[in-house]
Amino acid sequence: MPNNSMDAANTATQSVNTNTHTESKTMKQKKRNSQWTWYIFLIPSFLGILLFMVYPIAESLRLSFFKSNGTIETFTGLANFRTVLTSGPFWNSVWNTFYIGIFQIIITIPLGFIFATLINSVSKGKNFFKVLYFLPNVTSIVAAAMIFQFVLHPEMGILNYILGSLGLPTPGWFSDPATSKWGVILLAVWHWIGFVIIICLANLQAISSEMYEAAKIDGASGIQQWLFITIPNMTGTFAFLLITGWIGALQRFNEVYVVGGPNGSPARSIQTMGAFIYERGFTGFEFGIASAATYIMFIIILIFTFINLKVSKMKI
Amino acid sequence: MNSTMSMKKMEKITSIIKFLILLIFGVVLMAPFIWMVSVGFDRTANISMPFPPRLIPEEPSKFNYGIVFENGRLIKSYINSTIVTVSSVILGVSASLLAGYAFSKGKFKGKKILFIVVLCTLMIPMEPRLIPLYTLFNKMNLLNTYYPLVLPSIISGMLIFLCKQFFDQLPDTLREAAQIDGAGEFKIFFRVYLPLAGPIAATMVILAFIWSWNDFMWPLVVLNDLELQTVPLYLASFSLENGSSLGGLTMALATVSILPIIILYLFLQRYIIQSIALSGVKGE
Repeated sequence: MPNNSMDAANTATQSVNTNTHTESKTMKQKKRNSQWTWYIFLIPSFLGILLFMVYPIAESLRLSFFKSNGTIETFTGLANFRTVLTSGPFWNSVWNTFYIGIFQIIITIPLGFIFATLINSVSKGKNFFKVLYFLPNVTSIVAAAMIFQFVLHPEMGILNYILGSLGLPTPGWFSDPATSKWGVILLAVWHWIGFVIIICLANLQAISSEMYEAAKIDGASGIQQWLFITIPNMTGTFAFLLITGWIGALQRFNEVYVVGGPNGSPARSIQTMGAFIYERGFTGFEFGIASAATYIMFIIILIFTFINLKVSKMKI
Repeated sequence: MNSTMSMKKMEKITSIIKFLILLIFGVVLMAPFIWMVSVGFDRTANISMPFPPRLIPEEPSKFNYGIVFENGRLIKSYINSTIVTVSSVILGVSASLLAGYAFSKGKFKGKKILFIVVLCTLMIPMEPRLIPLYTLFNKMNLLNTYYPLVLPSIISGMLIFLCKQFFDQLPDTLREAAQIDGAGEFKIFFRVYLPLAGPIAATMVILAFIWSWNDFMWPLVVLNDLELQTVPLYLASFSLENGSSLGGLTMALATVSILPIIILYLFLQRYIIQSIALSGVKGE
């Protein structure tokens, strides 16, 4: 990403200078300080990583080969994977997850970018709009889902009232399997757009103004500058948003649980992969099947992130 | 002369149009909040939602709020959330400050690989860890306590990453001066660098606070005891029990539940926005 390259370069040269200055003086002292002290600094974090990351991931893999309810375990080989991969509800949950994710992303990133450029170009109220637009993102998605159940209520909701008074169709939203996914998409866009705007704004401000000045001298209009300078300079940002957006979307659980419970009612229309795992694991106590499903989900996330990285040509 | 005048006029007009578009869309984004507050204060909304929807309550009253507070479960969940959030923040921020500092200024074998491990934790979702963590805490007999909610927050790849970035910007000369004075690594960290880490520590506290306060999936799994419910859990159970009836109560409850975060945000918005921006700008 082309961001803050000036800053980074400055600090880099600074540290190079100071390094060469004092390298010889402190060499001996540095060697005297043995390396082990540094590992003490890392102990708390790495104890946590071992116990709460590495162990569960390994244990989850083991469990996926067993039929287990937490107390009684029997080895079943690949049976759990077969069960999950041939399960209609699982593929339905994959479909729901991707459907909601795709529309959330293709609506929010362009819309957020447009609003970010608008905020960036107004002379007054920049900070006010930043604060206002980011507010939904800090509120909990659980509370937001609760509020949206009323905003999108088919009869008493404010959105359908407005749509109705404009003579437009009034969908059933969360009460109708045909439109419930769109209810979740609206909620997701509302909740995520502030984040997209803030990230875009920060990166817009990092584009050097010299480019715009040069373009202005050449007679480029505002829209031309936006198309040929702003957008090409933002590709790294879009890649970042695409990847973080997908990782978040593939893990979606909280809002669909609040709206539709563990089975994603109505008619499993909003059950995501996360909700499927929760349903099998903690309402059915089929730990083996839930673990196999988490591994399949994990692999889907990895493959998808890899594709995203390739498509967006982002370097980590 | 004339053309520059009209150019300036044009610029002014487009700037006003841009401002208006932003204002209208801002109101649209805020509409759910505005409606939430209005319905919460509407006495009649408790029986049936007001229709057509109105902006100003017909019969303004604190009735719904009274019920929400009388019930006691909300206050209990507030206390639970506060205990869990404060402990999680202290644990997560201190561990991340130590690790971030070591990754920035330390020279030791395996630094690169260990840092990659930390970054990898960012990519690992909660779901694959859910069942093993549940059975782990079950075996330790710690389900339905605060421990499973607090202990795992000791790792946060994001906080370690932000912290390392911050210490990278502080000069090494400070270290070298302290080393010449004979200070050990811990003394250097606590006496020299930690006092300078105020801004990043504030950012980390805010981020960790918001994550912990809003956390939902993991508490849902480990807490069955209603006495220990955190705020989001209480909200979700209220919502699932009552569906779309009791509009006024639900909205009053939602209002009270998001209040701490909104207040925190309004006071510290500069730091919050900056830290979010930082996580995206320097995400290389």
